Amino acid sequence: MKALDSLNLEDGNDERLLVEAARQDPAYFAELYENNFERVYAYVARRVRDREDAQDLTSEVFHKALAGLPRFEWRGLPFVAWLLGIASNVLSDRWQLKAQHKDAGSEEVEEVGVEDDVERRAMLYQLVNLLPADQRQVILWRFVEQKSLREIAVTLGRSEGAIKQLQLRALQNLRQQMGSNHV
Amino acid sequence: MSSISLADQLDDAIEMMIAEPDSAPPKVDLRIGELLGIAAELRLLPDPAFRAALRVELLGQNSPAPAAVYNDLRIAAEPEVPRRHQRNDAILPTLFGAGYGNYPFHRGNIAVSLAIHAAAIAVIAVAGWWVGDNSRGAIPTGGDIFVMEVVPNALPVDARKGGGGGGGNNAIPASKGALPRFANEQLTPPTIVVRSEPPKLAVDPTLVGPPVLTMPSTSEIGNPLSNILSVPSTGNGSGGGIGDGDGAGFGPGSGSGMGGGPYRVGGGVSAPRAIYDPDPEYSDEARQAKFQGTVVLWAVVGVDGRAKGIRVVRSLGMGLDEKAIAAVGGWKFEPGRKGGVPVPVQVTIEVSFRLL
Repeated sequence: MKALDSLNLEDGNDERLLVEAARQDPAYFAELYENNFERVYAYVARRVRDREDAQDLTSEVFHKALAGLPRFEWRGLPFVAWLLGIASNVLSDRWQLKAQHKDAGSEEVEEVGVEDDVERRAMLYQLVNLLPADQRQVILWRFVEQKSLREIAVTLGRSEGAIKQLQLRALQNLRQQMGSNHV
Repeated sequence: MSSISLADQLDDAIEMMIAEPDSAPPKVDLRIGELLGIAAELRLLPDPAFRAALRVELLGQNSPAPAAVYNDLRIAAEPEVPRRHQRNDAILPTLFGAGYGNYPFHRGNIAVSLAIHAAAIAVIAVAGWWVGDNSRGAIPTGGDIFVMEVVPNALPVDARKGGGGGGGNNAIPASKGALPRFANEQLTPPTIVVRSEPPKLAVDPTLVGPPVLTMPSTSEIGNPLSNILSVPSTGNGSGGGIGDGDGAGFGPGSGSGMGGGPYRVGGGVSAPRAIYDPDPEYSDEARQAKFQGTVVLWAVVGVDGRAKGIRVVRSLGMGLDEKAIAAVGGWKFEPGRKGGVPVPVQVTIEVSFRLL
């Protein structure tokens, strides 16, 4: 969790306040969602390795969290620990369901260092949002929409060479930020 | 290795990685390898549209923005709870309070901001001057966010009818009778129910329409197609014509001439052109969901240059239909013309909502 200190709300008192407020009024769940989306998504995506599946499961995790918030008890652990517990259950349910139909495969295998990897990915996903607008747009189109450089160049009215340079600078920026944010 | 060849090599590797995600990573330069590792992790980057849509799904459109939530809580919190963001003279607070994030203060940013604002003011001033001088120009498209165009529909020539008129607000439809002659200008509207003394200078009653239109003549003025024989009436409509429409012509439509509605483009009827078309607003719901698309509207552009009777032909939902109708309702058009005379013309209007 330390790696994200500079990006997220981590202070225990602040988070406890937010959780208490959200228990009274679900509208306050927005801040908890904003603070924890990337980590929950990264946790799920690390295991299912497919964007569509990861998004479906992340959606299920937050829906369950919002529904279960009145029963949440603060025990000194970060709120994300509770969310990841829900995510773990959701993943387990999914694998059980798949196992009933076919071999569950290797998805259930927990690997050493997964937690660090999740934190690293969550930080990476958040850092993409902090890129300059043109670099961020290229990254989103290239990796989320999987557009070719030519398509991006035509859309932005620039040369393919310029788009390649933007892509390179975006990845260099991310590498630099990852290095400076890592403890 | 130059940055150009570095960028080429990196993109080749990314292309291969995207095309064949299960293949072994290619052997590349060490610097590329590190960037490629980041690129590999970006293959599962969450879609921002999904992130925004899930938030709306969970919390609805009216959920408070993160900064607002944080500030609300701060106000409600006990005094001894320390503030997350301490006052720092080297930090410029955000526009919306000190709750969510601060940006480093750079003098250069102030200078760039001033320059951008000055440029924006200059662009607005020049645009205003240009619009004033080119108010009859081609249909302008929207700004960076929206692209709009007015696309008048095209129908076969034989379907292009127009005109029509209304009566004298009578309780019953127009009674049977002969139409008065047509003229370019109406001095005396047809009077079937006599409510005043005959004028000192009598002028024959006329309907507004091409003077070449002639109808069989009988002694009584009225609607030749009407079944009402007993009670004299010019019809339910208004505007001094005969019929249940609105205008000085004859028929159920509006305006002059004969017919059942507004004109359509073609056959000598020119299309209306938008001369003032401010961008529609994005609905909050659509903006949050990063929703894009085109609303198609149908409307009649009247002789006053305003769109009336606006209807949605193709809906987008998420509040964008209402925004499109509201925007087009405020637009100003140069009306369509027939023979140089402004006439009401029906058009379809595409209003595109695009986020950049």
